[in-house]
Amino acid sequence: MTDRTGPAAEPLLEARGVKKYFGAITALNGVSFHVAPGEALGVVGDNGAGKSTLMKVLSGLYTPSEGELYFAGSPVKFHSPRDARKMGIEMVYQDFALAGNMPIYENIYLGREPGRKFAGLTIIDRDLARRMAAEHLDKLKIHVKSIDQNVEELSGGQRQAVAIARATAFDAKVVIMDEPTAALAIKEVGKVLDLIKSLKEHGVAVIIISHRMDDIFYCCDRVMALYQGANFADAPLKDTNRNEVIGWIMGTKGHTQSFAHDKVQH
Amino acid sequence: MKKLILAGAALALMSGTALADKFLLDMKGPGAGNPFWAAVEAGAMEKGKELGVEVMVMSPPTESDVAAQIAQIEDMIAQGLDGIALAPTDPNALAPVVDAAKAAGIPVVFVDTKGSNEGVTFIGTDNEAGAKLAADYICGKLEKGSEVAILQGIITQSTGQARANGSKAGLEACGLKVVAEQTGEWDRAKGQAAMENIITGNPNIKAVFASNDNMALGAVEALKSAGKLADVMVVGFDANPDAAVSVLAGDMTATVAQAPKNMGGFGIQALVDLKAGKTIPPVIDTGTVLVDKSNAEQYK
Amino acid sequence: MLGNSPRISSFLEHYGIVVIVVAMMAFLYASRPDVFMSLANLTNIIKQNATLALLALGMFVVIVTAGIDLSVGSVMALGMMCLAVTAKAGVPWPIVILIGPLVGITAGLVNGLGLTVLRLPHPFIMTLGTLNIARGLSSLITEGAPVSGLGREVRYLGQANYDFGFFPPPTGLPASLFVVGISAVGMWFFLNRTSMGRHIFAIGGNPHAARVSGINVDRVLVYVYAISGFFAGLGGLLLAGRTDSGFPLAGQNAELDAIAAVIIGGASFFGGRGTVLGVMAGVLIMGLMRNGLNLNNVSPFWQQILIGLVIIAAVYIDVLRRHAAVRR
Repeated sequence: MTDRTGPAAEPLLEARGVKKYFGAITALNGVSFHVAPGEALGVVGDNGAGKSTLMKVLSGLYTPSEGELYFAGSPVKFHSPRDARKMGIEMVYQDFALAGNMPIYENIYLGREPGRKFAGLTIIDRDLARRMAAEHLDKLKIHVKSIDQNVEELSGGQRQAVAIARATAFDAKVVIMDEPTAALAIKEVGKVLDLIKSLKEHGVAVIIISHRMDDIFYCCDRVMALYQGANFADAPLKDTNRNEVIGWIMGTKGHTQSFAHDKVQH
Repeated sequence: MKKLILAGAALALMSGTALADKFLLDMKGPGAGNPFWAAVEAGAMEKGKELGVEVMVMSPPTESDVAAQIAQIEDMIAQGLDGIALAPTDPNALAPVVDAAKAAGIPVVFVDTKGSNEGVTFIGTDNEAGAKLAADYICGKLEKGSEVAILQGIITQSTGQARANGSKAGLEACGLKVVAEQTGEWDRAKGQAAMENIITGNPNIKAVFASNDNMALGAVEALKSAGKLADVMVVGFDANPDAAVSVLAGDMTATVAQAPKNMGGFGIQALVDLKAGKTIPPVIDTGTVLVDKSNAEQYK
Repeated sequence: MLGNSPRISSFLEHYGIVVIVVAMMAFLYASRPDVFMSLANLTNIIKQNATLALLALGMFVVIVTAGIDLSVGSVMALGMMCLAVTAKAGVPWPIVILIGPLVGITAGLVNGLGLTVLRLPHPFIMTLGTLNIARGLSSLITEGAPVSGLGREVRYLGQANYDFGFFPPPTGLPASLFVVGISAVGMWFFLNRTSMGRHIFAIGGNPHAARVSGINVDRVLVYVYAISGFFAGLGGLLLAGRTDSGFPLAGQNAELDAIAAVIIGGASFFGGRGTVLGVMAGVLIMGLMRNGLNLNNVSPFWQQILIGLVIIAAVYIDVLRRHAAVRR
């Protein structure tokens, strides 16, 4: 069991001793994890360290082979991303996962269209969807020419903004972001990071997987490192620095032994 | 198909006729359900019984499956047999296997459809003469100068071409005016559509010759819905049962019957003659008959 | 002036195809002024293309998902044979007219389930299989023989004609026009106003996005192929009514005509794009072209060549338009 760090609040989403096997391969070997409301957690690790497997477990895409998940203190089991979504856990994908041939507002409500149910079909209330989309984008201070614009006409940063808007459209509690800035032009990175900060201010727990130290140090409260499928290190951002975190990614700890919460076995 | 042949061979062995000469009738389409090919098949089987020879009947699953027919012939040549009566689905495509059969010393005749190989006897309907028979019938019922139309089959096929040419020559010879020639590709729905277009463009036509009964029946539907069936006579070709019923009901006026049974019978006879070293004429006409109300009953 | 140009280009993007249809009609009218605009000819065009329109509507839904349904022509023939045989067997007509569409839906479900449950790599393969199976079955039912004489009620949708006491007798508005009209409007509503319709577009645009948005992609695909089958069966009912028969070789290569109409109508082969209006225009363009060439007694060989050229030209225009749109 790891020690708790970060804000004093109860963890919103927590994993205890999660293991995940794929046949003979052990992708996660007893990983523990927690994130609190309004906290931004950076998750780092080398390729194959288990970051994305952990995120897929948290978002319901994989079920853990062993270990438990807790949401707001009670144990939960996710059988599909739908289950995780019902709890308010949303995922933002590295490639945005938007339908380019459809307008912004439709992408935001894709799969959850507002409207009347009729004979097994939902007849979409397009005015309501438009209005809700416009209001939601306003709230997040995302500016687009028109919500009727097709997503394929947008820049990378605008697409990421739409993807984040979709993730938060239904009162999201936890937003998991996979490399949120990897596909963006440099000048757009700042805007997206500010958007992530504003999510935090709305009380959303944000989990960011990133290779870019700049991103992590700009908007995270805490950073957690995985190494070879297990917890390696975990520290509030103010107690660490870039070089140390880069060391964690490579599996070295050097002069940082003094941190109490680094007593994780590996 | 192969299984069937094996079963047939086994049956032949058991009944002790295995030593009899073995002839293959390879038709364009299966005899089951298609009265035309059924009659060809029956004619061949009867003749086989009469002459005491074994007759095997094969065909590709559809008339457009040229490759299947080629494969059948190749397989049969490999097994060895005494003669092939072939209705080629595509004369040019089948020419090489026909040559191969001849090279293997197996006599070949064409039935129903003439192949492109030189020196191979053709046994079948003279389609041009049959179409002319229909044209003459129309001529006898209409005044000189009347407008008439032709529904062609697929005119890249020799049958389609012969019927189109024969009818046109016949209709024009007696002074009728052919104002439209369109293809219905042997298909009922396409024949119907073509007829609709013909009536629209040529409201005064008095008769249509359709190169087969399917298209003729389509033309009847087109004329019916245009309210013109009483003014336009429809003459088809093939005398299939649906057409015979239509003639008896007074919808179609006439059709032309081939003698498919003769094709099968003459075909086997010709092969037996060839096997015996006799010479046979290059073309053997199996004949055509005009079918109208007076004699349609027998084709139902 | 310049301020208007995006509006013009947007108008052309959505309705350019209609402009082409109107231009074709004007051209045909000029070539045969005596015949083309006659009520009889216009009625013919509608009647002759109703079946193609239904097949194209079904094909369109499939193509929107970036799929293909090669089986529609054969499935249409199978529906036609089944309903013709049952009609001849004396089954009451209200059941008979359901048989075509039901056979179609069943074939569509087989396609959809084959694709999703068997995980076949591309719908081309599954539907190529069912193309052959359905064609074989249609011939097997009567051993290849056509079946004629279906009865008035069974023929109604394919054959009835409303003159409204206004059109002279052989002309009028065919019942099949209303079948196509209702189908097209229904399809438009389904695709544009219902969640499943939008999910179909999302799957065509980005299947991964659809999946992570909680859309059950496999389930939607099964519905999509069932819809295509349904329209093939309905097309069979119309064609059986029109010709008063079922024949096993009906609709050979009809799938290619349907694909051509959908593509000429501006739908993208890569999925996610196209409109019902465009598809209907594509059907009309094919129909007008055939009609015009027939009226002018142009040989069928030239017709094939021209249709081939139009398919290529239509897609090329689309490519140009997309390039322009991207630059804008």
